[in-house]
Amino acid sequence: MKKSGELQNSPQAASKKVARQKVLLGLVGAFVVLLAVLPLFASGFWMRTLTLLFLLAAMAEGWNFIGGYTGYAAFGNVAFFGIGAYGTALSMLRLHFPFFLALLVGAAAAMLFAVLVGLPVLRLKGHYFAIATVALATGVGEVADFWTDFTGGAAGLTLPFFHPIQLSNYFFYYIAFVLVLFGLGLTYFIMKRKLGYSWLAIREDEDAAKMMGINTTWSKVVAFALSALMAGLAGGIYAYWNTFVLAEEVFKIEYTLQMILATVLGGPGTVFGPFIGAFIYYILITLLVFFLPVGQLHATILGLIIILVMVFTPQGVMDFLSGRKRLTLSALLENIRTHKV
Amino acid sequence: MNQEVIFETQGITKYFGGLAAVDNVDMKIHKGEILGLIGPNGAGKTTFVNTITGMLRPTRGRVIFKGQDITGWPAYRVGRLGIARTFQIVKPFLGMTVRENVAVGAMFGHKGKTRTTRQALEKADEVLEFVEMGHLRNHFADQLTLAYLKRLELAKALAMEPELLFLDEVMAGLNSREIEEAMEMIRKINASGVTLLIIEHVMKAIAGVTHRVFVLNFGTELAQGSPEEVLNDPRVIQAYLGEKFVERQRRMQQASPQQ
Ligand SMILES: Nc1ncnc2c1ncn2[C@@H]1O[C@H](COP(=O)(O)OP(=O)(O)OP(=O)(O)O)[C@@H](O)[C@H]1O
Ligand SMILES: [Mg+2]
Repeated sequence: MKKSGELQNSPQAASKKVARQKVLLGLVGAFVVLLAVLPLFASGFWMRTLTLLFLLAAMAEGWNFIGGYTGYAAFGNVAFFGIGAYGTALSMLRLHFPFFLALLVGAAAAMLFAVLVGLPVLRLKGHYFAIATVALATGVGEVADFWTDFTGGAAGLTLPFFHPIQLSNYFFYYIAFVLVLFGLGLTYFIMKRKLGYSWLAIREDEDAAKMMGINTTWSKVVAFALSALMAGLAGGIYAYWNTFVLAEEVFKIEYTLQMILATVLGGPGTVFGPFIGAFIYYILITLLVFFLPVGQLHATILGLIIILVMVFTPQGVMDFLSGRKRLTLSALLENIRTHKV
Repeated sequence: MNQEVIFETQGITKYFGGLAAVDNVDMKIHKGEILGLIGPNGAGKTTFVNTITGMLRPTRGRVIFKGQDITGWPAYRVGRLGIARTFQIVKPFLGMTVRENVAVGAMFGHKGKTRTTRQALEKADEVLEFVEMGHLRNHFADQLTLAYLKRLELAKALAMEPELLFLDEVMAGLNSREIEEAMEMIRKINASGVTLLIIEHVMKAIAGVTHRVFVLNFGTELAQGSPEEVLNDPRVIQAYLGEKFVERQRRMQQASPQQ
């Protein structure tokens, strides 16, 4: 019988890992406090940039539920963002709901869509699931574009400005920030519970999960619906902030790729990964736009980066931050060798 | 032995295209027994278990557990009802620790609804002590040897606290000492009140722990009875070892002096 010492990652290594996680938690905590007080001295430009980043982080946190924890490569989550945006805008314009109520309607619409679509689509696996989600997101975008009577079609929907206007930057900064914190809290909460365990079990082996008593359909649909909740809320906030909703804009596949990229850069299947990854993503594209003559980051380039990240470090930077691996060339190459994707 | 039937299949049949992998099998499992299920490679043993646990839908036939018809139930409901199984090709949750792997069984299995996550983790520790893997609880499953992966399969199933447990070749690939340990563990599990069906090619184990043996060949029942009867049945030997072996045995018997 083998003794534990012969295996790597002994319990001592595990306790070292716990210590490292505490440091990481402290750093993230300090960073969160910094972001909370930032508007006191940051310029409007920085606040708007960070607001956008927070919305991305929130969507990434949502994608993490289905893509990171449950292991289903959802490539259509922008649909939830778009539905959240339209749901919020239409509730404000047609029903004259106050913003927060409209936001909830938008998010609820996104979740409802996720449940209805998830029931059939989540039966598919791997590439088939990925393709089906792309197709659905594209389809919903087309409907929004052509259903002119309801959505305003190509003319878009124009929303009232936030009042008082001089507080607008602060309002959207903080609401997006709170959404990110909500996402972190929700992730942490779920992953301590049975639902979280069921997601991991499904990701690692769906047949074994089923046989062990997990209602996999239900678990997956909940994961999908919660990712829709996050993206739907982000979409609603974005709509009001932008005061304009256009199908071409809010159903852009780039948004899906951005949330995937933020998650995989930071660390799929980790609590802080998507949040950290959103920052890494922003730094990365700023550098790319600066150094490469691309002007704008198209879907192709984002897709290429996703492939590179998935190949070299499928666990994102969290792999290195959490102490599971050391950031060396050999660790990156090892990732290629043991590739599971 | 108690003759109460805990589990029964009636005419269970599973086709893959034109091939009947399992063909019209009637099997009764008595409460408290260890039933061995043997048969040559490809006989349909795994398919039989898949079909009666909800992993696959039977083409025909009925499955009855404790008087309840569970034919075609989804696997998760079968699991929650008190039936657990291991997989011949192990299915560990690689990205989770050994403890978490086992806790999943305690969380969602037979008594899962009555437990909190924390209680499930405590139950997992208990099961890991039982299978003597307590020292590995914080290891990730991807760091285990095959022998331990087989034992992890068993621990995950046990954590579900089943009344009926199907073991699909948990001893394949183990050395003889590990096989002895596994046999001892199976006896202990049975003594704790669990009814077992064990699929095994290791005949020493079948002879050593089972009360009764059921033989499948080409998806149909070939024989059933006590281990001695069945393991000495020429039809069974022939199915396993082929015509030539039986021929040779007959010739050897004829050559030996008559009493
Ligand atoms: N999913 C499947 N699709 C098609 N054919 C299958 C499938 N699973 C099993 N079979 C076929 O069904 C037959 C029975 O296979 P099964 O795995 O049940 O045998 P077994 O008795 O468990 O064999 P072993 O002792 O090698 O594990 C084989 O001919 C196999 O090739
Ligand atoms: Mg088999």
